[in-house]
Amino acid sequence: MEEANIYINAVAGISPQSVFNEGFSQSVIKPSGNRFVCMEPDYDELIDAKLIRRMSRIIKMGTAAALKCLQQANVEIPGGIVMGTAYGCLQDTEIFLKRIIDYKEEMLTPTAFIQSTHNTVGAQIALLLQCHNYNNTFVQSGHSFESALLDGALLLKEDEMNEVLVGAADEITPASHAILERFGLYKKQAGDNGFYNYTSKGTVAGEGACFFLLSNVQGEKNIAKLNGIETFLDVPDEEVENKINQFLAAHHLSINDIDLIIAGRNGDKKNDAVYDMLDKNIFTDKQTINYKHLCGEYPTSSSFALWLALKLVKDAGAAQFLCNQIINRDVKKILIYNHYLHTYHSLLLAGAC
Amino acid sequence: MEKAQLMENLKKQIVAQFNLKKINPEDIGNDQPLFVEGLGLDSIDALELIVLLQQEYKVKLANPEDGPKVFASVSTMADYILKHQPGNANGQ
Repeated sequence: MEEANIYINAVAGISPQSVFNEGFSQSVIKPSGNRFVCMEPDYDELIDAKLIRRMSRIIKMGTAAALKCLQQANVEIPGGIVMGTAYGCLQDTEIFLKRIIDYKEEMLTPTAFIQSTHNTVGAQIALLLQCHNYNNTFVQSGHSFESALLDGALLLKEDEMNEVLVGAADEITPASHAILERFGLYKKQAGDNGFYNYTSKGTVAGEGACFFLLSNVQGEKNIAKLNGIETFLDVPDEEVENKINQFLAAHHLSINDIDLIIAGRNGDKKNDAVYDMLDKNIFTDKQTINYKHLCGEYPTSSSFALWLALKLVKDAGAAQFLCNQIINRDVKKILIYNHYLHTYHSLLLAGAC
Repeated sequence: MEKAQLMENLKKQIVAQFNLKKINPEDIGNDQPLFVEGLGLDSIDALELIVLLQQEYKVKLANPEDGPKVFASVSTMADYILKHQPGNANGQ
């Protein structure tokens, strides 16, 4: 994305950490075994009880995060709703598939099917708001959130609207966790030596929902600026350094202009090799923090990384509590680099206004 | 099955099927409307009720236009099941 004035006016998220109501829990919450589970708020405050009964967990998480984000921005109806999800509504999909078997392909009920589609969360947000504006959901595995973010930014850049709600949501269910565990994605045993140790293969499953209100209007509402988004597929580790330098150069920056790196290490040695290489080659004198010990690994985890970046722009001191690191400088420019399964790489550049 | 027992079962199944978390089965009146001003069920729920009837009681709603009368309340549902359930005196 070329340089454009894209501002972030509000952010809200639901994650394994207790972050929904601004504050954090007393201590960083660790995964249960090889799986993180979101800390869900009391949805009744945000969603009508008659509607909530039909919503699965991911729909509630996504809808609540979106509504909270709009509340914080004091926006009733956004110009558009764009979201990304890789897994979609897994719980409803599983219910629907199970009923096909249980009912021998006869008399299937509509609810689980209707709500199993990937765009259900975006649609539910629109229904609750009675928002008839642009509504789109991107399903592109590890680039789902970045694609949504890029779409939102382009809509603002082209002046299609002044404010757009952009977010991502993904859930892990017992069945999907078991399947992905069999693929070798997750550690067989939880590490006692910290999230990023390399005594075993695999990572820890994660989930979450984060929403952002983007705007092309500069003003008092702005809490941060989104300077750039870049995605690339299937590049060898040694190419990533070039990609980062090219990305920064496109925004008239060098690595020296970056105050903080947020990296997508996930505790798997093979996965993290590229981050180690970057630390050695171009992030040498840069402070790097990791985020997946807070949310786990999932295809749209970069939305949590952006959430964390915005928290650190506002309060760099939070890094000590969340990441056990002290940031000794003002955080004006943050570079987020993440890759999912070595295939989906992304760079996000955010910072103070 | 006695109608009272059947209505009790239906109330439990309705609460479970529709995830009515703040309503206990005993809170549902026998003649309380299930739709709109009553329990607040809607047209999608009506389809779920049709499936419930077929799966749990082997009763098919022969004429969809009878739906509003059959699903008016727990009592009317029980009457329909007792009348049409296989093995009952009037069952098909």
